[in-house]
Amino acid sequence: MWRDASTWAAEAAAVFAKDWRCEFRTRYALNTLALFAFTTLVVVSVSLGPLGVSAAKGTPVLPTLLWLILLFAAAAGLPRSFVHEEETQTATALRLAATPSALFCGKLLYCLTLVAALEVLITPVYLAMMSLEVHSPWLLVGTLAAGGYGLAAGSTLIAAMIAQARGKGTLFAVLAFPVLLPLLLLAVELTRHAVSGEPAGMALTQILLYDGTVTVAALMLFPVVWNP
Amino acid sequence: MDAASLRFADVTRRFGRLRVLRGVSADVGSGEALLVTGHNGSGKSTLLRCLAGLLAPDAGTIEYHEGGRALEVAERRRRVGLVAPDLAFYGELTVAENLEFFARLRRVDVRRGLDLLGRLGLPSDQLVGALSSGMRQRLRWAFALLHRPRLLLLDEPFQNLDAAGESATRALLAEHLNRAGGLAVIANPFDLELDRVAGRLHLGG
Repeated sequence: MWRDASTWAAEAAAVFAKDWRCEFRTRYALNTLALFAFTTLVVVSVSLGPLGVSAAKGTPVLPTLLWLILLFAAAAGLPRSFVHEEETQTATALRLAATPSALFCGKLLYCLTLVAALEVLITPVYLAMMSLEVHSPWLLVGTLAAGGYGLAAGSTLIAAMIAQARGKGTLFAVLAFPVLLPLLLLAVELTRHAVSGEPAGMALTQILLYDGTVTVAALMLFPVVWNP
Repeated sequence: MDAASLRFADVTRRFGRLRVLRGVSADVGSGEALLVTGHNGSGKSTLLRCLAGLLAPDAGTIEYHEGGRALEVAERRRRVGLVAPDLAFYGELTVAENLEFFARLRRVDVRRGLDLLGRLGLPSDQLVGALSSGMRQRLRWAFALLHRPRLLLLDEPFQNLDAAGESATRALLAEHLNRAGGLAVIANPFDLELDRVAGRLHLGG
């Protein structure tokens, strides 16, 4: 059993390493994410004032904008993980060689590291540009971790679903709306609590439950979605 | 080594209104090759994709036995070796990096990939995106044989190959069929001179 688990993990690690190796050579997703994040960051900071907004106005609005920036930047780069495999016809070789669950986990890990990098780059800059004071920094870190994971897991599954379809861009938006909406609502609420210093309440449990549900659903659905 | 066998009966596949395969049947045993011929669009590639488990037939049965038991479609998909014109690899990676990646997925020794590179005369450190069509075809062969499959599915296997490439791949095919348990289904638009062809199937006519 342990041997099976270790070979499964080695397969997932091989997919993860391959994706990053290809990414470092093309820098497509990194450039897309960085450009989109930077553009939205500048638009938000310029339109709301580069020196920040008052605390009373900022607490309800700014956490929402932070998650919108993260969502749109992620949506611009994450679907590529599977779409690119179909477009370049490498998906057939993957279907023949990879265990579906290991392939999904390798891709998820790749998307997760992209989202993590995005959050690490964007969040401190955003907080500084908006002069947003965070009263519960650990709650913000936890929210970014749980919200980032949910964003990566949901986007990876949707990317696998749309990869073989026509009109991928439209389909991603249509499918992402119901899947990612509950996550974003919870992430925004938790970020507000982190900013104001209020306790997390049930929202933290709910976001963790969401992450668990999406992961289980993705592992169950992926082999069906991926194979004929 | 255990024998392997492939039997398919009344395989039918449609794409919308177009019926590409209608009631195709044959069987292949260990050490044998089945040669499937037919004009362009006759369904040769579709049949091979169905046999590989990459496409589900609308009707009919496909039974593949290996190691004394019938394999489910998911297991069959992972066990077969496929050479097909639409099989592509990562253009951003070198030939060796591609084979190393698939060796890890296939759970086989990376040295097997290096051995095949040498036998097929592939440049290990060249980016796949920069390979000629003949070299890409050689790489498809290396990918198909990487995990020493019993069942080899070859769709236009000598397409784009030069004399040296064809000679190397024919030698590998002969080795595969001489190996205990090895069998192959070969699709080509025209007849091929090959040893060990136990059956011929003509589609679309």
